Amino acid sequence: MSKARTLKAQTPAAGWLGKALAGLLLGLGLGCSALFIALTPEMAGAARAQLAMWLVPPVWLTVLGVSFLFRSGPRAWLVLGGLNLLVLLQAALVPR
Amino acid sequence: MYTHWARIYKGVHTWTGLLAGMALFIAFYAGALTVFKEPITRWASPPAPAANWVALEQTPALIRQILNARPQVGQEFFVELHPQHSQRAQLRWQVAGPEADEHDQLSRRHFMATLDAAGGAVTLPLQPAPVAELIDVLHRVVGLPFDTEYNRWLMGVVALLYAVALLSGLVILLPTLSKDLFAFRPGRNRKRLWLDAHNLVGLVSLPFHLVIALTAVGFAFHDGIYTLQDKVVHDGGLGRMFRAGMPAPDPESRSHSELLPPGDLLDRFKVLAPELEPTRLQYLRIDSPMPMVSVWANDPVAMNARAWGSFAVLHPYTGAVLNTDYLPAQQGPAFAAINTIFSLHFVTFGGAVQKWVYFGLALAGAWLFYTGNLLWVESRRRAQRRHQSPTLQPPRTQWVAALTVGVCLGSVAGISVTLAAAKWLPGCVEDLLLAHQLLYYGVFFGSLAWAIRLDPARGAVHLLWLAAGATAAIPGSSLLGALGWVPGLWWYPRMDSLGVDLTAMVAALGFFLMARRLQQRISRGPSDSVWGELNARGYKGNA
Repeated sequence: MSKARTLKAQTPAAGWLGKALAGLLLGLGLGCSALFIALTPEMAGAARAQLAMWLVPPVWLTVLGVSFLFRSGPRAWLVLGGLNLLVLLQAALVPR
Repeated sequence: MYTHWARIYKGVHTWTGLLAGMALFIAFYAGALTVFKEPITRWASPPAPAANWVALEQTPALIRQILNARPQVGQEFFVELHPQHSQRAQLRWQVAGPEADEHDQLSRRHFMATLDAAGGAVTLPLQPAPVAELIDVLHRVVGLPFDTEYNRWLMGVVALLYAVALLSGLVILLPTLSKDLFAFRPGRNRKRLWLDAHNLVGLVSLPFHLVIALTAVGFAFHDGIYTLQDKVVHDGGLGRMFRAGMPAPDPESRSHSELLPPGDLLDRFKVLAPELEPTRLQYLRIDSPMPMVSVWANDPVAMNARAWGSFAVLHPYTGAVLNTDYLPAQQGPAFAAINTIFSLHFVTFGGAVQKWVYFGLALAGAWLFYTGNLLWVESRRRAQRRHQSPTLQPPRTQWVAALTVGVCLGSVAGISVTLAAAKWLPGCVEDLLLAHQLLYYGVFFGSLAWAIRLDPARGAVHLLWLAAGATAAIPGSSLLGALGWVPGLWWYPRMDSLGVDLTAMVAALGFFLMARRLQQRISRGPSDSVWGELNARGYKGNA
């Protein structure tokens, strides 16, 4: 069966809870990454902490918004979970 | 492929919209009024005796006397500068209610001090009208009465739903964007007309909505996000990062007589920002090892960090500059970005014109959520076939229509009633805030019950009449004050207060016209609609 046919067979609401939860939790995880902190070693502490907080909503909401594009709930968890692992790895490896 | 996603996102849009739409209506309608919070507070506050301003050079003596009598005032007090006379000032402070959290402005009591003829300090209670703050709280916590931690979390959930609704709405619209954007198809197909209007307004104001959604999520969840990031990103160093820009605590204990006079502090501020006109000095924890005084001013050509404007932090005893991160003339690029985020939500840029733009965008936003629900109702409309018995709409459609009318128009009517009462309550009741809250929630829940009990169509007409009448009473009570017919009523022949009266007049006319149109639709519109006469009559047996 082709990819388009598989999709057509699904109802639009299929797996919505799994996708939404993946977006909500793992999107927050991606938003809270240390990437920004690693990229801004020169920035003054107060500004750095505040900007790191303010960068969470755009990342979080974008991931939450696109999480419904995944073919299924488990797939959303797999892909977003993998990205979260990468981000955690970065936080552990890159000095900051 | 795309149609499959569009179908998914249509479901997402419908559900997020339906769940959050009515709360968002209240947040946006109250938010539109909150843009003009200060003019509304001045409009609603009784005239204060003019003699209560003291000369700026007398304020050090006044501050010392008050601090001796009430040491707890040293935690936070204000030297308010006269808007017209730079050499006149007023000493003010607030006493928080018991168990109040830092965002709870409503339970605070306000005081000021002045000097009598013999040079002794006199303390007077101040009673700024609480009605604009009440409307701001409705805005901040989507219609709930108190700005508490849990209510902010609930607001955050609504903000998340709002953001998802925005993105999903965009996904649905994208494939037919070029065809649909400037299409406006009035005609027999009501749903098409509402959809075209909903799409157009939604897309044109999308940048505004993205800004509001992102900042609202930040405002709701910043405490949680900071705590989380402190653990996973900052390794527990968050507190240290925030303190990094501040001077080390100064263990030397100082006497209040060493406080620099406000005039000297203002001179030091002038060096930092020569173009700005300071509005107030905010003294913080002057008996602690880290005493501070923030000098506030409005920068007309910059993105101001807070609703009060921009500020520089000075040392109240030495005059040393402690922090200029929130002063546009002195801040670096990182703080310019942070302050812009706040400014874009609070509209503390672009002066009066930009405030009116935000007022319009917020009202358009409220309208967007209202039409979203109307579209839900219209999409589920059961059409009448020829030669068939009259068609009643299914109960769930009737219910959503009644809830939409009750919540949205109920909050509009409630805000107008409580605003119109602002000039009548002082002198009649002891607790102004409680009276305003009772009036708002009484009208709100009464309206909701009315729309559900009666039927959505006639309920909407009645609630619009109520809103029109109550809104007309806002300039009405000013007019009575101007004519002097009712003792105790006041009016101010000032631009900002007349603006409140004129805006209310226009709004009352708008509500009146809407009520009349709805009335006509009930009798002349199609009968197979929740807004038609047949459904109105059949509502109770149906639902």
